[in-house]
Amino acid sequence: MALLELRNVSKVFGGLKAVDSVDLKVEDEQIAALIGPNGAGKTTVFNMITGAYKVSTGDITFNGENICKYKPHIIVEKGIARTFQNIRLFKKATVLENVMTGFHCKTKTGMLNIIYNPMMTRREEQEVQEKSMEILKFLGLDGVADLQAANIPYGHQRLLEIGRALATSPKLLLLDEPAAGMNSAEKQELIKTIRSIRDTYHLAVLLVEHDMELVMGISEDITVLNYGRRIANGSASEVQNNEAVIEAYLGRKE
Amino acid sequence: MKKSNSKGTKIIVILVAAAILLVLPFLLPNDYITQIVNMIGIYIILGTSINILTGYTGQLSLGQAAFFGIGAYATALLNTRLGLSFIPCLLIAMVITGVFGLILAVPALKVKGSYLALLTMGFGEVIRIIMVNWKEVTNGTAGILGIEDASFFGLVLGTLKQYYYLILIFVVAGILYQRALVKSRTGRALVAIREDVDAAELCGINVTTYKIRAFVLSAVYCGIAGTLYAMMIHYVSPDTFVSNTSSVILWTAIVGGFGTVVGPVIGGVVMQVLPEVLRFLGSWRLVIYGLILLIVILCFPGGIFPYAERGFNRIRRKIRPESASARKE
Repeated sequence: MALLELRNVSKVFGGLKAVDSVDLKVEDEQIAALIGPNGAGKTTVFNMITGAYKVSTGDITFNGENICKYKPHIIVEKGIARTFQNIRLFKKATVLENVMTGFHCKTKTGMLNIIYNPMMTRREEQEVQEKSMEILKFLGLDGVADLQAANIPYGHQRLLEIGRALATSPKLLLLDEPAAGMNSAEKQELIKTIRSIRDTYHLAVLLVEHDMELVMGISEDITVLNYGRRIANGSASEVQNNEAVIEAYLGRKE
Repeated sequence: MKKSNSKGTKIIVILVAAAILLVLPFLLPNDYITQIVNMIGIYIILGTSINILTGYTGQLSLGQAAFFGIGAYATALLNTRLGLSFIPCLLIAMVITGVFGLILAVPALKVKGSYLALLTMGFGEVIRIIMVNWKEVTNGTAGILGIEDASFFGLVLGTLKQYYYLILIFVVAGILYQRALVKSRTGRALVAIREDVDAAELCGINVTTYKIRAFVLSAVYCGIAGTLYAMMIHYVSPDTFVSNTSSVILWTAIVGGFGTVVGPVIGGVVMQVLPEVLRFLGSWRLVIYGLILLIVILCFPGGIFPYAERGFNRIRRKIRPESASARKE
């Protein structure tokens, strides 16, 4: 059974069918990609998986459970985390606090524990801080832990967003255009990082990406969308030689 | 070594501050000044209340005076009609303001930014109008007279000096709780909501319940301030809980520094002392008062406290360069 499975999923906005009966599978610890021209519906698919959009028709199952009815914060608890296309950090909080916030659903301390159970509060706080530092160390961000998130370089901000997502202990990590604005060397570095995240945290990765260098270099399974429909699915070489894909990206040969 | 050093100075600062706060009433020349100091305390609690809601959670409220008033009226009624003493009045007032916080939170969840500001302002007006017009209960514009002095465990407070200590206890407790809260998991959730609602949800934060918690907690702080006020002044009337009071509460947090633990303390002092110091100006007083506040905001965007903190750190680095490298805790 696949970790994540979309069956016949559609999303209709008014009269527009943004996503049209899409099937998609992500296996445990697989790195998969969702590609397609602008407006193909990739981010809409992401938004349905994370619960930001309600699915119009079709089913999304995660770990064998239908997750269509859940709100975003519940889906996070179930084990799906994501990053955004345009970085969305808690800018005025520190780098460390950003990651610590990610531990929210894995911790329990409430507003009253502070008063009647300060020991538990302190213990949990200590634990969250240590685990957050581990993640920052893993991503090479431990040196900037105390800086404001808004003040670290762009590349680091992208990594930090991944770190915050990792803090929720996901089984599936959705990355929305992680290579946006990166040069070739940085992309090679990112490929290594994504692989080592998968191997260290034993999770599956699904990425939406325009950058073919990254997609072809890393993905074990590629799904291609065009006008909201799935037009191809397979390995990098299969997809690259697919007539429909070439047509979608380059236009029809006359 | 370095760590214990800075911790040592911290303890000394706290002890000195505690000593000053404990003997302060005996240094004040008269009741008039003591009253102002007590009002500073009440406004620190009110400033803390809006700091949690607006400073940390990012939900702008222009109706805090309503919660303050609900707390004060609840205590006034419970005391004059049912003869309840300080502690039951306080607890019931906290519950009642909390419930009103919940009531306001429900529509507030649906709006943000300027719409939320208008909504909370409207809430404040509604409460004030009820205070004026529901004469059978609130006694209308005449207000409620004859609230008894606070008494608990056989102790009856009579003088403003005694109220000073009562208020001090709640100010310290209120600030300490706020400090613990914002450093906790809940505090991070509130800041996350302020910074980016969608990203907060994707950290597993239930935005709805946390916004409600912020509204309720903020209202409860106002309820405490209201009870202290009613018991100290022995009188409540709708004039006290007008939108101008909401503005002063907002300014208290802004001037001191939104989203900082100490901000409301600085704001409370500035906002209460300034109008008194400017009394010699006669009819120009409010004009100059407003001008000074504007200048403060222009010179210290983000509030006085962050600037004071930076200045303090700079001085410390000059005196003891090695302590600059020592990270705090």
